[in-house]
Amino acid sequence: MQKKFEIKDLITVGVFTALYFVLTFIVACLGFIPIFMAIMPLIAPILVGIPLMLYFSKVKHFGMVLITSVIIAILMFVTGHPYPIFIFCIGAGLLTELVLFLGKYESIKACVIGSSTFSLWILGMTIAFFFSFRESYFASLVDGYGQEYVDKMMSYTPTWMFFAMIAMCLVGGLLGGLLGAGVLKKHFKKAGMV
Amino acid sequence: MDIGLQLTTEKTGLKIDPRTKIMILITVGIIMMSGKLTGVEYILRIICTFVPFVLLLSVRQFKSAFGYLFILLCVELCEGFIVPKTQGVLNLVIMIICGIISRFGPSYLCGWYVVKSTSVSEFVTAMDKMYFPKVITIPMSVMFRYFPTLKEEYSSIHDAMKMRGIGKTVKNPFVYIEYILVPIMMSTVQIANDLSAASLTKGLGAHKKRTHICDVRMKVFDVMLIVVLIAMLVIFFIF
Amino acid sequence: MIEFKDVTFKYNITDAEGNKKDAVGVKDLNLKINDGEFVVLTGFSGCGKTTIIRLLNGLIPKFYNGELTGEIYIDGKNTMDMTIYDVSEKVGSVFQNPRSQFFNVNTTDEIAFSAENQCIDPEIIKSKIIDTAYSMHIKSLLDRNIFDLSGGEKQMVACAGIDVLSPTIIVLDEPSSNLDHRAIRRLKNILEEWKKQGKTIVIAEHRLFFLKDLADRMIVMEKGEIIKDLNKEEISLLKYKECEDLGLRALSLEDVPIENDSGSKQNYPNDRLEFKDFFFSYKDKKHSVSVPDLSVPCNDVIAIIGHNGAGKSTLVRNICGLEKRNKGSIVYKGKKLSNSERLRNCYMIMQDVNHQLFTESVLDEVMLSMTDRKTDKEEKEAKAKEILDKLSLSDYCDVHPMALSGGQKQRTAIASGIVSGKPIIIFDEPTSGLDLNHMYRVADLIKELKRIGKTVLIITHDYEFILKCCDYVIHMDNGVVTDSYRIDNTSIDRLKKFIEI
Repeated sequence: MQKKFEIKDLITVGVFTALYFVLTFIVACLGFIPIFMAIMPLIAPILVGIPLMLYFSKVKHFGMVLITSVIIAILMFVTGHPYPIFIFCIGAGLLTELVLFLGKYESIKACVIGSSTFSLWILGMTIAFFFSFRESYFASLVDGYGQEYVDKMMSYTPTWMFFAMIAMCLVGGLLGGLLGAGVLKKHFKKAGMV
Repeated sequence: MDIGLQLTTEKTGLKIDPRTKIMILITVGIIMMSGKLTGVEYILRIICTFVPFVLLLSVRQFKSAFGYLFILLCVELCEGFIVPKTQGVLNLVIMIICGIISRFGPSYLCGWYVVKSTSVSEFVTAMDKMYFPKVITIPMSVMFRYFPTLKEEYSSIHDAMKMRGIGKTVKNPFVYIEYILVPIMMSTVQIANDLSAASLTKGLGAHKKRTHICDVRMKVFDVMLIVVLIAMLVIFFIF
Repeated sequence: MIEFKDVTFKYNITDAEGNKKDAVGVKDLNLKINDGEFVVLTGFSGCGKTTIIRLLNGLIPKFYNGELTGEIYIDGKNTMDMTIYDVSEKVGSVFQNPRSQFFNVNTTDEIAFSAENQCIDPEIIKSKIIDTAYSMHIKSLLDRNIFDLSGGEKQMVACAGIDVLSPTIIVLDEPSSNLDHRAIRRLKNILEEWKKQGKTIVIAEHRLFFLKDLADRMIVMEKGEIIKDLNKEEISLLKYKECEDLGLRALSLEDVPIENDSGSKQNYPNDRLEFKDFFFSYKDKKHSVSVPDLSVPCNDVIAIIGHNGAGKSTLVRNICGLEKRNKGSIVYKGKKLSNSERLRNCYMIMQDVNHQLFTESVLDEVMLSMTDRKTDKEEKEAKAKEILDKLSLSDYCDVHPMALSGGQKQRTAIASGIVSGKPIIIFDEPTSGLDLNHMYRVADLIKELKRIGKTVLIITHDYEFILKCCDYVIHMDNGVVTDSYRIDNTSIDRLKKFIEI
């Protein structure tokens, strides 16, 4: 297990982050249609899980996944997502690093779970919508429906939705990871590239 | 030697240091995200809403600037007239869309401005000057360089699929995705390899700080802008 | 001065089952290269010339894993004591594939890259870039998006980057592989200039004709060992036959004989491929192809030649049916083909074969092209195996296509093409980077395709290859067909004029 970052590692981080980002972006664009927006946290990780697994198979030491999550956070921020995205990205990145570390960078199971935890950064994109939007929406409702009703609504919606989204990310990531593991075995192992 | 030759064309329009642009993004993001609809904060929000419009005009992106203005206008009209007249689910959906656009639109458009007005080398040079560690700047450079390659690879693979008649005879969407993704992933691995080898022979990876021919400097205008932005934030937090 | 002392290197390769395979790079190599010498390394693919290049620029052993014994000295210093970074200050490298050797998107940034990495003062770098732009005549290539450039232009940018850094040793690994003759001429000029500046140049190459005047020494290798070390006089005395015996491509294109099959009897001499008022233009309106009137024989092997950017790929994409917005007609054997019919009738072997291999075994890959629902699976399998046998791929039926060598991948793609039953087969630069024997193999395959009745179109820059298997030439320039003729002893001069011999 190498401790130092070689140029090869950094370039691997760069190209795979690029691929991951492009695929996520394509799915996210679909997410602008309100119907899809709700299940996007489930679909996106399934698709991007495939290259993510290939990427994880090339990760042999601490830090590469973290860099990927930081870069994604920077990209998201520069394209206009507000600052909570950093917290979610880095959090998901660190969690995934832990998972991969526990698998000693050789276990496929750890990679699949890692795919699941890594997907949690998507929460950062949608959570901002929910929290800040809620405030102003309900503020405008107060006049029409009364404070009591609004309080009830506020307490009711978020927790349920929040957990639903976490679940979607995790499940989507898990499915994506399993798909990715299948593709790795079928193609990459056979071609001798893993 | 007469330097009648420009090495890099100056981007048309107003040039702002990338670091100032980041400050703009931070400021607009904070104000738009948690600003309420009343009082001083409301005024700041209105200012922020027009910031991207001005910025886009400053770099001659007229289509985006006026397109943005147009959408904003539509949203305002929606919120004012259509919403009170609708009920139930339709009401909810329209409110959500309008709310998202009016609250997050300015941030996104500022982001669009940054992307359109900054070249890759300016961005990377600025990051280096901000003392971002190499482990972040190098992957980011590679990433920007790989985006166009990805596009080319995809085009080529798509052509091959058309030519071989795959895609029309395949009913299963997963298999279709496999046909596209697997060659792309393989070429990603190969390019990572080739690129690493080539970059190493060109001296990438020194422990000393490398130089840049791209000129990124804070000018008086940048400093003024930053002062204004900080003032906006201060006002925002006090009131 | 460069010195190799008893150098042996074995690559560590693991195959699909995880077993370690040893591949010898070089064996007991002893070699001295003096300052300012221009050395050409050549030989079959896998002979060890690329290994020597990698030993010189430090990629072995730091990047390519393996066992290295012996010592290498550059200007008296042992390379084992140097990092790749230190070596990169003294040795500049130009690689075969322009696509994956540049780090930046903007040409000026790429040219400055090596110098920036060596921490040279930006003002000095800028003035050097201007000097290089004038001396290499590449002002028009500055500040452009690298992805918009042709292969030849990309190689110019790579060379410019080295020119700015100006190291004492320059190594090149098959730099001419993807280049047309005009670009090769420009490369030759740059090499001449560097030689005049006293640089030590080591170049590994298959295409030797442009190096004949420049080489001080030519080293022929086989299986990791040097079998011939020729000096300038001996090089000039080499005849065509001797080159062929050594497995080398011609040193002088004048000498290459015509060895195609155009004398043989044609089955259907009147079948033609015709273009009438054909026009296509890309969205930017800058690049277009216009063929008002052209008729070529279907049973000939047709070479499409022209400089980079002449429109060859565009024309071929239209013939294939990959581009839709075209006007006019393409008529094949008397039948006009619509765009979708063109797709059904053409099979293209792409320049990058990796883009058209989709499955996990060679057999599946070939069967993928068998879209006829009438035959059942067993019949399909039998037919596929028959074709694979003819192409010497029977042992590889279960191997993943990506684990094959370049030539085997190409043959897999050809097999898929044959079983698809499509009558028109198009090749895009099939001999890039191939040594003499592999080039002959491809030529034989193409003659075989002609024999079974396929119409074969080939985009190529390879003069020797054209003379080996092509019967007819279409010459393009600026999107227009400027000439078309059968190759024989009278018309050969027109071909030679194009190659600028």
